[in-house]
Amino acid sequence: MEIYLPIAELSINVFVLLGLGAAAGLLAGMFGVGGGFLATPLLIFVGIPPAVAVASQANQVIANSISSLQVQFRRGNVDLRMGLILLLGGMFGSTAGVWLFTFLKRIGQIDFVIAVLYVVMLSTIGVLMLVESARTWLRRRRNPEAPRGKLHTHYLVHRLPLKLRFYKSKLYISALLPIGLGFIIGVLSAILGVGGGFVLVPAMIYLLGMPTGVVIGTSNFQILFVAANVTFLQAATNGTVDVVLALLLILGGVVGAPVGARLAAKLPGVALRGLMSALILLVAAELLTELLRTPSSPFSLAARQVLP
Amino acid sequence: MMRWKGLWLAAAAFATLAGTASAQGPRVEPPPGTLGPPPLGGPVDPTMPPSVPSEDSTPELIVDLSRPRVSITSAFQGESILLFGMFDPPGEVVVVVAGPAAQETVLRKQRVMGLWLNTGRQAFDDVPAYYAIAASQPLQRLLARGAGGEILSLEDRLATIKPVGERGGAELAQFRHGLVEVKRSEGLYPAAVGQVAVQAGRLFRVDLPFPSRLPEGVYEVRTYLLREGRIVAAVSRPLPVGKVGFSAQLAGWASHDGPLYGLGAILMALIVGWLGGTIMRRL
Repeated sequence: MEIYLPIAELSINVFVLLGLGAAAGLLAGMFGVGGGFLATPLLIFVGIPPAVAVASQANQVIANSISSLQVQFRRGNVDLRMGLILLLGGMFGSTAGVWLFTFLKRIGQIDFVIAVLYVVMLSTIGVLMLVESARTWLRRRRNPEAPRGKLHTHYLVHRLPLKLRFYKSKLYISALLPIGLGFIIGVLSAILGVGGGFVLVPAMIYLLGMPTGVVIGTSNFQILFVAANVTFLQAATNGTVDVVLALLLILGGVVGAPVGARLAAKLPGVALRGLMSALILLVAAELLTELLRTPSSPFSLAARQVLP
Repeated sequence: MMRWKGLWLAAAAFATLAGTASAQGPRVEPPPGTLGPPPLGGPVDPTMPPSVPSEDSTPELIVDLSRPRVSITSAFQGESILLFGMFDPPGEVVVVVAGPAAQETVLRKQRVMGLWLNTGRQAFDDVPAYYAIAASQPLQRLLARGAGGEILSLEDRLATIKPVGERGGAELAQFRHGLVEVKRSEGLYPAAVGQVAVQAGRLFRVDLPFPSRLPEGVYEVRTYLLREGRIVAAVSRPLPVGKVGFSAQLAGWASHDGPLYGLGAILMALIVGWLGGTIMRRL
């Protein structure tokens, strides 16, 4: 069954979009991060203009995070103070990101920048996670009773000024750190159409040293508002948010997320992280091939300019 | 008979309202035989006034479309519109469909340190959004006999588009070629000349194919009657292409009131996400 997307201006099979949404939802449920990093490249592969894919995906992320946040709030897994500080950076970052997106689109380099950013980011995170989960797995196997070690290690970043106490996260760190992190996630969110959970979650665990329990709820809190900001700005400046596309992705995600959550409950954390890193690396490899492979046609058209 | 008359009147009114058919002169029907020969040779200019005033119908050529417009709805997957009519024999029929002209920018990818990225761009003015041609006889044979001044094959029509900027020579030719290649892959410049089927020597019909990825605007459908290589009658019909219904409302809302549309999109996501989450957890 084909449906015409009014903003993307093309017709596409409904079930392809529902399936993509479900796959993204499945990931969201399993790993606690949105599947945007997977859904956005796939939308572009099926022919949705990158600008529309990114903006509509941001719209989808809102639904994803509110539905996850419902549960996290009830369980008290949200560090509001940390969330608000991250959000402060996130708002600036996403606004700057939408501006940068508009600029790159105008000079015709947005597709390239999207692809390169994805490859660099996904391969870095994929390798880091793979190494980490392999290490944990080996250590556990050698000595199941091994102590977990220090809560977190102290780096240079912990000596920055403007220190704040985060009771829920059991942290005493500089506010500049979460603000900077939020800013970077905001920029990524605007340019790549992702919530940024797949960067934010590891960064909160390994960089900020937050306890795993509050990481997902807090990241979802920041992602919800950043995605809303991106959706609003993309709609207002570029007019590229396709609500029909977003709605189909959301509906798919609604079905996929609980299935993913149930799967996640049955699998051990190490296996889950290993699986996720493999998936991330796979998407990165596919994008890299796209960049390296000789295109079927070197030519493409920019947006039509209807003359007055 | 009354129904036909009503139809023509409606079509004429529509054409006047749309105001796009070029050279919509007074409805004076050209007496046959008084027409000068079509211009031969010389530079081809698409803005040149047609040698025959365009009419909704002439005594020699009556044309109608199976639909007055192409409506892009939520279920739109491209559409085929039937053009049919009648002419006074003898003669041959040529149909040219041209979409609204706009500036198009062609981007070219090149390998830079192993990666493919856009390195060159070339804008062209006056590029038709869509261009298709159909004829009752092989086009070369018809055009060779002198009607080429006004009826342009796709190649001739594209030879008239003006590049923006200084680029020239072989590189410009590459970009021109690239433009056609992309448009063709989108189904907007059908490569094959369509076949106008003639029955009983005077009835004709042809299917005009429109792909799903169709730019909006008012298209022009021109039908020519040729005798011995000369245009003796021409009929022009505007064909509006546009979104209708839900699609049109959404697209209009998005382009006219972006901020409000953005808020609506956010609200939609919040509601569906919240409800969806609640319902799925109950199951």
